[in-house]
Amino acid sequence: MTPMGALALVTAAISAVLLLHQLVVRPALTLSTRLKLLLGLAVFPFVTAVASTAHGMHRTTERDFCGSCHVMTTHLGDLEDPKSASLASRHGRNPMFGGTACYTCHADYSMLGYPLTKLTGMSHVFNYYLGGYKNWSLERFHAEVRIAKPFPNSNCRQCHSAALASFQGVEEHRAIAEELTSERVSCASAGCHGVAHPFSKRPEEL
Amino acid sequence: MHHRLHWLLAWWPVEKAVTVACVLGLIALTWMALGVVLGTPLWVVGSMSVAQGLGLTAGALFALSVGADAGVKRAKRS
Repeated sequence: MTPMGALALVTAAISAVLLLHQLVVRPALTLSTRLKLLLGLAVFPFVTAVASTAHGMHRTTERDFCGSCHVMTTHLGDLEDPKSASLASRHGRNPMFGGTACYTCHADYSMLGYPLTKLTGMSHVFNYYLGGYKNWSLERFHAEVRIAKPFPNSNCRQCHSAALASFQGVEEHRAIAEELTSERVSCASAGCHGVAHPFSKRPEEL
Repeated sequence: MHHRLHWLLAWWPVEKAVTVACVLGLIALTWMALGVVLGTPLWVVGSMSVAQGLGLTAGALFALSVGADAGVKRAKRS
């Protein structure tokens, strides 16, 4: 648990004690009662809300959070499989990605990348609980659902800088440099580095 | 206008509103705590949206109640 999560629990517990005392004892609304309620209904809950939000935002970057919906279990399983040779698994084994491997790759690289990624992530929750994905089989999910927009090369380039000699030294990179920059060719496509999650694709997509 | 405000302050059910605020506050706090402890999508997303809405409602009810209580007491004194 993060320190923010612990802070949220402590302040929530203090607030709960103050509120339960008010509900059980029902003291008159004197100045001291008002002050206690101010602490129990405003000050401590405000701290709880801020701390639990900070903890929650961190929690949504963890890969077991992404894999907690059944339609993502194969993605998580492949990521954690040391024998898998998929692009996602090879990256997930890198300690730089660690427990936040899904988020590290899928968070868009821009000034607003963090909040925009979180906002678009809400559509996943909506689709899962209200859009019917919850009742879908894995086979149907893999057959019908694709990433909402093409995976941007700029996300790969957060680590794999195109300015480095090791990148420019590859003839294929130099030959399609313009296509890579303009996103007409994806790094994670067949013929290049391969799709990240091949088990979720039809044979003709590989 | 003044009479209407006085009537509104006198009508506002301070004790009931404080009780409702406490109950709503407890629900919101429990939800936020469960969001931290359980860490599953529905609880986490709910703790950052629904629970905070409930908490804000509880705080607003408390503020209105304190304001109404103080207003009634001031009106009685004058």
